[in-house]
Amino acid sequence: MKSYTIDSLLSARISADYPDRPGVLRDVELEIAPGEIVGLVGESGSGKSTLATALLRLLESRGGKTRGELRFQGRNLLELSNREMRRVRGREIGLVLQSPLSALNPAMRIGHQILESWRAHREGSPDLLQLLEMVNLPPEAAFLERYPRQLSVGQAQRVLIAMAIVHRPALLIADESTSALDVVTQAEILNLFSSLNRQMGMAVLYISHDLLSVGSFCHKISILQHGRMVESNSSEEIFRNPQHPYTQALLAAIPRLPTFPRTTNCHRVAVPA
Amino acid sequence: MQYGVGLVEVMRRLATVLAIAFMAVMLAASFLGGSSYSAQHREFIDAAPSFQFPLGTDDLGRDRLVRLLHATRISLLFAGAASLGATLVAALLGGIAGYAGGWFDRILVRVIDLLLALPSLFLLLATRAMMPLNASPISTLLVTYALMSLMGWLSPARVIRAGVRNSRDSEYVLQARAEGCTERRILLRHILPNLRPIMVAQFWTSIPVFILTEASLGFLGLSASEPFPTWGSLMRELQNPLLAPVEAFAPIAAIALSVSCFKLINPWRGSQA
Repeated sequence: MKSYTIDSLLSARISADYPDRPGVLRDVELEIAPGEIVGLVGESGSGKSTLATALLRLLESRGGKTRGELRFQGRNLLELSNREMRRVRGREIGLVLQSPLSALNPAMRIGHQILESWRAHREGSPDLLQLLEMVNLPPEAAFLERYPRQLSVGQAQRVLIAMAIVHRPALLIADESTSALDVVTQAEILNLFSSLNRQMGMAVLYISHDLLSVGSFCHKISILQHGRMVESNSSEEIFRNPQHPYTQALLAAIPRLPTFPRTTNCHRVAVPA
Repeated sequence: MQYGVGLVEVMRRLATVLAIAFMAVMLAASFLGGSSYSAQHREFIDAAPSFQFPLGTDDLGRDRLVRLLHATRISLLFAGAASLGATLVAALLGGIAGYAGGWFDRILVRVIDLLLALPSLFLLLATRAMMPLNASPISTLLVTYALMSLMGWLSPARVIRAGVRNSRDSEYVLQARAEGCTERRILLRHILPNLRPIMVAQFWTSIPVFILTEASLGFLGLSASEPFPTWGSLMRELQNPLLAPVEAFAPIAAIALSVSCFKLINPWRGSQA
């Protein structure tokens, strides 16, 4: 049995199954220290989203089952009652789901939506405008009146992040939060996660299929393949010295900028003004 | 370059306005018209249209126009009430089945399939025909519409069940769970508001169905009994259409007008879902 260090925020060793698909996750080990940004990389179907929902014990609501040990701030979450677990969700661990537009309730205005996640645990109301400002949305009352269909994908993503950080959880899980976005918005959201991490000391589990974006801001990277954690190391080590063949393949697949030889047949390159 | 589309839309709106105006006039007139629907003018039996009786009188000397106006009121009111009843039953049963799933869901789906396979008009006819002949007119009226309501919840229940299921398995409900919302809150604040457009649509589309069903029953003499006028019971005069005068066809015009009115106005058109 592995001994757990006191300073780890979350340390998990879990397996997960669906009735029709056993072994979606097999003995996946994950360790997150307070204030750390951990990247989780894997291809589609490798079990990334299952892991994200399993960490909040939400797999049951979709017919799945989680086994193993899931220690978060000293407690084994798998042993909590439903009521105790509900208090952890949103308040201590926040989740930002994959597709921003479908994760927002189409019948609810943005302001109400954010208020809902506040009221799940507390009375009254947070400072909504300040919250909008924190996630770089226009801090205007009119914005809170909008419906999800009136938002761009990037804005919807920020609203979801605002909802997830409303209780300042110790851990924020972001599931493929940038894969639906264009490159510029993607970079903005990544910056937002970094600054939330710095300002609030919030640990982030950032899930993506894109090793390059993960490497740019995560302290640690874990690689998931077919429901198994094949490699887990600091970002530097992953990029410099990948051990597992799958990690090496992922690295080799990263597109590189074209390199131009010094002597070239091309005499002039036209650069539009 | 879309000349045709605009014209169709204009025609549709024009028809809608005309239909609503006509229905409104008929409803208003039924409240204003002082004469009783059962008053007999014995000196004017089977009278042709005149200034005093614009639609003539029937074989008992009753004013056809007065009876048609009262029938409009009764038919619209009871079709609306039956539709409301059917939608509420459908929402309750379909809602529970969709949300809870399990054995209740399986049984309800089978029961609905079974009942929908029965020829509902014959079932209505048989049940209605079993009522004693000396039943009071008001009870025949209530029983007729109650029966239609009992048959009418089946397909709305199916649609609502599917809607609840979609909502229950949606990303925004998963997100609400991840925020730590209670099941009660999820049901009331996240699932129900998204059902509203579906329920309004079901309510609205059931009304013309009930109007037409009642007309069929009435034509066969099995709707509300004498002297109650409903659109259906007025059609009894047409059982021998070759002998009926032209003005006796007025209920058909009223039915056609109201049914197309309900089909033209769709209140859920501009809603968010």
